[in-house]
Amino acid sequence: MNKIAARVFPAFAIGFALFYAPGYSFTGNTSTVSWPLFTYFPAIEQWRWLLVTGNDNSGPPMWWYGWIASSVIVGLVFALIALLLPERAIRNILATLVWIVPICAFLFLLNWELPWFVTGWKPIWFN
Amino acid sequence: MVTALLIIHGILAMFLVGAISHQTLGLFWPKRPGQTGFVSRVRVTNSQGYVNAILVLYCMTFVLGAYIYPTYRVFVRPPLQDLQLTYAIGLFEVKENFAAICLALLPSYWYFWKKMPEYKLSTQAITAILFCTIWYNFIAGHILNNVRGFA
Repeated sequence: MNKIAARVFPAFAIGFALFYAPGYSFTGNTSTVSWPLFTYFPAIEQWRWLLVTGNDNSGPPMWWYGWIASSVIVGLVFALIALLLPERAIRNILATLVWIVPICAFLFLLNWELPWFVTGWKPIWFN
Repeated sequence: MVTALLIIHGILAMFLVGAISHQTLGLFWPKRPGQTGFVSRVRVTNSQGYVNAILVLYCMTFVLGAYIYPTYRVFVRPPLQDLQLTYAIGLFEVKENFAAICLALLPSYWYFWKKMPEYKLSTQAITAILFCTIWYNFIAGHILNNVRGFA
């Protein structure tokens, strides 16, 4: 059990963060990739698969639930891959990445969230 | 109904802030034998004892927040956009994203605290991440709740 958890739990957190950060950052009305697994329209209480943009009839879309669902799937895939690798070889790597990757994801997300706080800020990705 | 849930969400968050603060202080600045002052009593000696409470409180707070989120999206955010209070929207965006990533960290948080005490750096780092996120989310939530007063 311990040997499984030592790989599954950190790998899940790493996969989740690695998908969630770009998922939030690159989702928009013109996105070509559907990062969220589904879209929720709270004004009309309807769920739709994949990325759907809002309009005057449907109201604002919510992608947050869909990002979480997609990230859970990616996290589980990472956990599965980690299970296939030798526990001794990756234990230390996972124990380090499990906190480094979320911190990097936070910084990546902050870069995309700064326009809310700093007028004229453009995410470094496009500079 | 939503107002009642929002208040419960805030109360749970307050308990969560208390638990993670005790644990983090106990982890990084533990109480020494013989210290009896108020500040040293805050720095608990048994930080591990908070793990399960933090797990449960985080999940409950998260689920409640996720449940009332649509109300924010339909009734709160559009007026904020109309008032051009972009910083308030940004505060919430950061809050929701950090909360989601920390939710995925919880199994590892539990595991490193309970089963892998030899990985002290990982335990400390994950706890510090949770501490910062929980405090940020608590403050951001309160500012957002009171934002009409600031406007």
